[in-house]
Amino acid sequence: MLAKRAPPGAAGCGRLLAEALRPLLRGLWPCWAAGPQRRGLRAAEEAPAERLVQREKRSGVAVRRFIACPRLARTVQQCLQRGAGPGPQPVLLEFSPGPGILTQTLLDAGLRVVALESNLAYLPNLQSLENSLDGQLKVIYGDFFRLDPLVSGTLKPPAVCSDKLFETMGVAAVPWRADVPLRIFGIMPHTLERNRLWRLLFSLYECNSIYKYGRVELNVFISEREYLVLTGKPGRAWAYQALTVLAQIGCEIELLHMEPWSSFATNMKSGGLAIPKSKRLPNDHLCLVRLTPQQNLFTRGLKPTNAATFIFMVKQCLAKPKSRLRDRLNSWSLDNTSKLLKELEIPKNAVVRDLYPEDYRRLFEALQNSSTFAETWFCEDVLESVRTINL
Amino acid sequence: MALLRLRAALRGPGGLRGPGIPWSVLRSYSSASAKEVSTNGTCERTELLKVLKARAKQLQGSNIPEVTVNKVEAAPLENDKSQDPLQKALAPHPMEEQPVPRAVGGSPARPSSWARKLQKETYIQQLKLERKLSMAASQLDLGDQAKAEAKPKTKAESKPKAKAEAKPKTKAEAKPKAKAEAKPKAKAEAKPKAKAEAKPKAKAEAKPKAKAEAKPKTQAKATAKPKAKPMKSPKTPKASKAKAATAWSQSCASPHSVYTHSKPTVELGEEGVKLKRPHGRLKDKDSSQHKVLQETIHSSLECFLFLQQPEQAERFLLLCHSDPRKRKLLDVSAYNIVMRSWARKGCLQHIDRLFSMLESAGFRPTLDSYTAALECMGRDQSSPEAIWRYLQRLTSDGFHVDELFQKCLFEEDEKEKVLSAIKTVLPNYLPPPPPKPQTCKSSLLQDFYSKEKVVSYPKLDFTVEELKERFQQQLEMELNNTITIESVEAAKPLTPQAVKARELLTMLRSQWHNNILQALQKSKHSMAVAKARARTLSSYNILYPYLCLLPDEEYVGIMLQVLNTLSPQGESLAVLARELSSRVYTRYITQRKLQSQQLEKVQAVYENYIHLLAKDSQPDQYLPREYWEKLVEEAGFGSSLNLKDCSWPFVILMRLGMHMLELLVKATKLPKNLLNPRLESKHIPVLYHIYSFQHTWQVGLIKPHPIFSQILTDAAETTLTFSSSAMPMLCPPVPWTSPHFGAFIMNDTKLMRFLDGAVQHQQLLEQCPPVNLHPVLDALTLLGNCAWKINQPVLDIIISIFNDKGNEELDIPPPLSEAPRPPTAPGHPSTWSKSLRREVLLCKKKAAEMHSLRMDALYKLSIANYVRDKVFWFPHNMDFRGRTYPCPPYFNHLGNDVTRAILLFAEGRPLGPRGLDWLKIHLINLTGLKKSSSLQERLDYANEIMEEILDSADHPLTGRKWWMNTDEPWQALACCMEIVKASRSPDPAAYISHFPVHQDGSCNGLQHYAALGRDLIGAISVNLVPCSVPQDVYSAVAQQVEEFRKKDAERGVKIAQVLQGFISRKVVKQTVMTVVYGVTRYGGRLQIEKRLKEIDDFPEDYLWEASQYLVKQVFNSIKEMFSATRDIQNWLTESAKLISQSGRTVEWVTPLGLPIVQPYYRSRSTVLNCGMQHLSVRTSDSSQKPDTVKQKNAFPPNFIHSLDSTHMMLTALHCLRQGLTFVSVHDCYWTHALTVDTMNRICRQQFVALHSEKILQDLSEFMLEKYCSSSSPNTVTIATWQKKLMEQLSNVPRTGEFNLNQVMDSTYFFS
Repeated sequence: MLAKRAPPGAAGCGRLLAEALRPLLRGLWPCWAAGPQRRGLRAAEEAPAERLVQREKRSGVAVRRFIACPRLARTVQQCLQRGAGPGPQPVLLEFSPGPGILTQTLLDAGLRVVALESNLAYLPNLQSLENSLDGQLKVIYGDFFRLDPLVSGTLKPPAVCSDKLFETMGVAAVPWRADVPLRIFGIMPHTLERNRLWRLLFSLYECNSIYKYGRVELNVFISEREYLVLTGKPGRAWAYQALTVLAQIGCEIELLHMEPWSSFATNMKSGGLAIPKSKRLPNDHLCLVRLTPQQNLFTRGLKPTNAATFIFMVKQCLAKPKSRLRDRLNSWSLDNTSKLLKELEIPKNAVVRDLYPEDYRRLFEALQNSSTFAETWFCEDVLESVRTINL
Repeated sequence: MALLRLRAALRGPGGLRGPGIPWSVLRSYSSASAKEVSTNGTCERTELLKVLKARAKQLQGSNIPEVTVNKVEAAPLENDKSQDPLQKALAPHPMEEQPVPRAVGGSPARPSSWARKLQKETYIQQLKLERKLSMAASQLDLGDQAKAEAKPKTKAESKPKAKAEAKPKTKAEAKPKAKAEAKPKAKAEAKPKAKAEAKPKAKAEAKPKAKAEAKPKTQAKATAKPKAKPMKSPKTPKASKAKAATAWSQSCASPHSVYTHSKPTVELGEEGVKLKRPHGRLKDKDSSQHKVLQETIHSSLECFLFLQQPEQAERFLLLCHSDPRKRKLLDVSAYNIVMRSWARKGCLQHIDRLFSMLESAGFRPTLDSYTAALECMGRDQSSPEAIWRYLQRLTSDGFHVDELFQKCLFEEDEKEKVLSAIKTVLPNYLPPPPPKPQTCKSSLLQDFYSKEKVVSYPKLDFTVEELKERFQQQLEMELNNTITIESVEAAKPLTPQAVKARELLTMLRSQWHNNILQALQKSKHSMAVAKARARTLSSYNILYPYLCLLPDEEYVGIMLQVLNTLSPQGESLAVLARELSSRVYTRYITQRKLQSQQLEKVQAVYENYIHLLAKDSQPDQYLPREYWEKLVEEAGFGSSLNLKDCSWPFVILMRLGMHMLELLVKATKLPKNLLNPRLESKHIPVLYHIYSFQHTWQVGLIKPHPIFSQILTDAAETTLTFSSSAMPMLCPPVPWTSPHFGAFIMNDTKLMRFLDGAVQHQQLLEQCPPVNLHPVLDALTLLGNCAWKINQPVLDIIISIFNDKGNEELDIPPPLSEAPRPPTAPGHPSTWSKSLRREVLLCKKKAAEMHSLRMDALYKLSIANYVRDKVFWFPHNMDFRGRTYPCPPYFNHLGNDVTRAILLFAEGRPLGPRGLDWLKIHLINLTGLKKSSSLQERLDYANEIMEEILDSADHPLTGRKWWMNTDEPWQALACCMEIVKASRSPDPAAYISHFPVHQDGSCNGLQHYAALGRDLIGAISVNLVPCSVPQDVYSAVAQQVEEFRKKDAERGVKIAQVLQGFISRKVVKQTVMTVVYGVTRYGGRLQIEKRLKEIDDFPEDYLWEASQYLVKQVFNSIKEMFSATRDIQNWLTESAKLISQSGRTVEWVTPLGLPIVQPYYRSRSTVLNCGMQHLSVRTSDSSQKPDTVKQKNAFPPNFIHSLDSTHMMLTALHCLRQGLTFVSVHDCYWTHALTVDTMNRICRQQFVALHSEKILQDLSEFMLEKYCSSSSPNTVTIATWQKKLMEQLSNVPRTGEFNLNQVMDSTYFFS
């Protein structure tokens, strides 16, 4: 994990905005006005400020955040390109680009971009950009968070099916151990953020949805508190959770950048920032995090087919963080728990919160080999659990 | 909601068997599966729906769970190892709010000066001030509580900080705070008499502040007092009046109600305006925590009283009393309880000491305190001087000796002892005569209550002796608390496997019994040791007394029972905990009733009471309630029949339950190799604590080990254990005489169903003058007095099918052996393919559903079978809107087709000239055919198919089975049999029939709306206007929708074109029916979607769009057809919204005088740290703000329900006067075939009479007075919201030109 603290970047201009100019200009940022003329975005620039970020007329619409400041866009673009090797870069899928300011920046930097936008109001602008270019940008109508919905019946846009999406993008599936076939960038909406992360992890472990196509690299802005959970250390209260263990085993987590909430524009009617509250963990920033699935995820006992059991096991263990691992194992009516722990070199009285993610993996592998594990009623419950989480 | 809860309750036998708790505890984790029941087409089955519907109807009353334990989480609270259970009940972060009161307490000089200024304001701002008083008081209270929570270190830190903060603040900011703080104080001192009730509280709240100032308390008091005095003088005349009311409320109200709701009672004596004020709503979180703590202390003290351990009670009280922070949790009634326990022992010096403690705590003794003192002196034959001393004190406190007997409740021989003490000094003293019975003055019931036309109460076909014997049987059952009966499956032959499994179970159970007993005793012992050492309240184990109330064996028995009924899928911890503790509670109540000798008194009165009902005694011109009251009065039992309130707060219930559950989980083990001898012998737990995950929640579950479930299945035990309150009564119920007395002999039954913690209904009922409740009490008594018996031939047929393979078409759930087998696949489940897993899951789900349906039917049939030769009664109570329900939950006449078909009136009546015709018409009604035909046509049709009817009756299972293809097959079959028997008798008119004939209102909700709005078109379509054939509102709406659709289709709307030919009555029916009850577009869409799914050739792709479109059109059509209805609905909704936004709950009074309050408040969750896991308990109670959305959406349907229940009660009462047998299933009225015509006439008359009252006008006036009357003279400053509310409330919707009297001639109004 390369959790470096990135320089403040565009935070300065964002703060300025938030304090003074936001109510006046609503999206027509000062640094923007001073910036050089860019091709393709004329329409956006000429449009009244309100049109840049579509303010939702209806209340109760999910809050969306946008990068509306070119300086932030440049920072993000640099972050995204950091660590990229020579040779051809994979396509970048940007979901919910909104006014397209980052899209423009990325295009300027020479990236190939696919924009997946769910709000029809933003589409014309993006499409005109698409038309002005020679295939460097592809615009698709769809909602990244309604990808492969689990309900049956016909898909109604903006819900999209990953097969169709990848076909349109022209990205083919590659083996798990191959290089990243696709990079994705977007800002995670803070409503149901936790559920969305779970959903992503489930598809990762079961090689579903986008992960059917290989180790898709995800670059997302998530709230600081969720970032802290993803990167939590064993023993830490509040931050070390089932999600932590699964995320750390499932992927490499790299912090690319941190940016205050105020740097982002929202679609709130009032122009408010709508910063979600956090009780126990600091939550002052949005963190740009790169989640690259581990190459060796499915090397040992773990397989996409039994991953659900692994996830269920971790969740059961960490449901009560201060309980002892031994008690948890005993409650699955396993034989000789103590022997198992001894083999794994886990102390007898270990508390579940103190175990390293890798310990859980080893525990699971050992359990897979133990004959009694299959006989417990544990597996039946996995089925139910998967159903409820995956819905 | 109700559906969800039902689903939760049906999940397993564990949920079903309790004495009604499952309804109150909603497990949200089951909601996901419940949703699937309704959305998943493959699993959806009609009979499930039917059961659900019937259940939902029955449960509608208990709509909003007060203690909704819906989230159970293992909130990892850090270093909260503190053993103080009281503290644990508090939310984890009270510290955040600390600075506010701190800053307030900053300047010691301010309060008095502000008090001076306050004098002037008081006259003009009486009302406002009082509200602030309660707010500010609780704010202070909050501060202190926060302090109590804070660690000493933080305390020291926060003090200077807060002060420093207060200073730099601008004056404008500091002022209001100081004001708020001064007010409670000035108030508390200013009206010590008028506010006798509120005073202790206000004082208690004000005190901490005084302490915060680091000044002697007394000094602070002294400064405030003289200054406040001038204000007192103009109040004195009223104050003296208020005194009586105050004292009264104190003596009779429950401990917790004393706290929150003292004010409304006090104000009885003050200005009339104030009477209309809502309950003083204390500030959110802290006041309700305070309340919980106070309730906990009360109920613990009550336990010691019950255990006759005055020393322990006193010790507990002293622990609280000596702790300055805890002392403010005490109120007078806490001291009174301890006094009572000493009084029982006759230890006067202890009572003397408690009196001085009361004084030192700043309380004034109440009537109850004096009762205890006098009782004690009566017991130990004290000297007349001592008695005089107390009597003088009583008078000097402003009480009168007579009040002791008028306003106090007595248990055991308390009354006699008090009297004997008084007689020692006043030998000629006679207790005051009881108040004269009053008669209800409601104009709707003038005829009913006028003594001139009284006819004697209908007699039962029993002699006095027979009824006495039945009473004994019922009493015996209730004393046992539970009853074990043979299930209907007992008739099946026993397999050798079952014999073996049963032996095994017996062995295991006896082991478990010993283990649990040991564990219980051990834990009690360690608690006792800890308790004896406890020096402070925080180290005191609060649960100990609750584990001593019953013999140890009984606790073990309760735990083992729960173990037996645990469903294999597991059960949420919270539900199990509630179940365990409420079983303990019901037993405790029974024991208390025995101890207080209430039983003997009830028995004595009952034995005289049955003379009113028995056939061999003199006719009496009394109603049951009047007669009972007369007998009570004659026996001089007056105030000793009611038990003093002794409910347990939910925190205690949860903790006790969790403790027992933990013991159970830890103590029960079974050998692992029980079923598979190959395995090594090892003892493994029977129960497991695991988690189930719901999105981001985790719910703790207790799951039985599969081995144990397997043994239980193998054993196929055929006994069922029910709570005695789940059985029908074997003797006529005790008549309802007050909100807490009636129905069962011993079992606690409330007049109004509500959920734990919802005190507001009970308070409202108590505040209501008793005479206003008479009509409702009489109606409920009347419904409960209907005797029933079993239709044995039908029951036998049903049981034979049930014990065979069941029959889904006939609503007889098949046994689990008929469940679909899950596909077997090789290998570990984790390697199965997705579709295979899905299939397995579906099978499991189906099996779980079948299991719960099967169990439900098993319970119903087994109870029916148990009472098959008996005559039995269903005592009734009502929900908060006045809708009536039978108390026994499983088997009653509100049930589904099967249960209704096996019920008959115990009383038989000849058919008379029209009876047979009515039976035939009733049969056709049950078939669902000929809905739009006239009565004559239906009769003709019945005669036409007489062949089929005869065949069905004679060869139900072997013949042509005509009856099976009807809407309500079992009732149709029963009806066929009755018709055949009657027509074969020599003289059908003289044939004695026990068969109930039903008359249904056609869309009763819309009928009431149409009548309210005098809506002509609406009235026609719901049969308020005479017509030759019945009008069908559903077809009419469907037609209207079709018209809209056609127009849209012509305009090229795609979905309208798709829908061509699919719009039918059936598609819109449910939505139209529920529209009046407030179904939303969302719910309506789901209903329509479900109907469309049933149509095979409807394109699936368009489901969503089509249902969306249709629900819009249905709403539009209704708007078009029932214009006035929509206006009224909108008016009600808007009014409720504004009322709720002003911070009050919507209240109204039905035309019969029943006060109603909507119990919807915002909920709050409290985390309870119990050993096994943290429980997050959601509560919503009256100390919180009203939930505006619920208040507003629920008002129209609740109001209409209150009207339909009024109509039903009016009909019931007037039917009684005509000598009819009458029962109801909400808007479906039942009577004998002979009396159908009479009942119909009365029903119409009462409908016209009801709606001739100015219902909406009265409602508007009532609400204006309640919510808008401003007591302050400066009306200039009426807030805008108040103006808006006033405008809204006065703007009653206009009515149409429908002539109400036409209803009198409408045949199909109820048919």
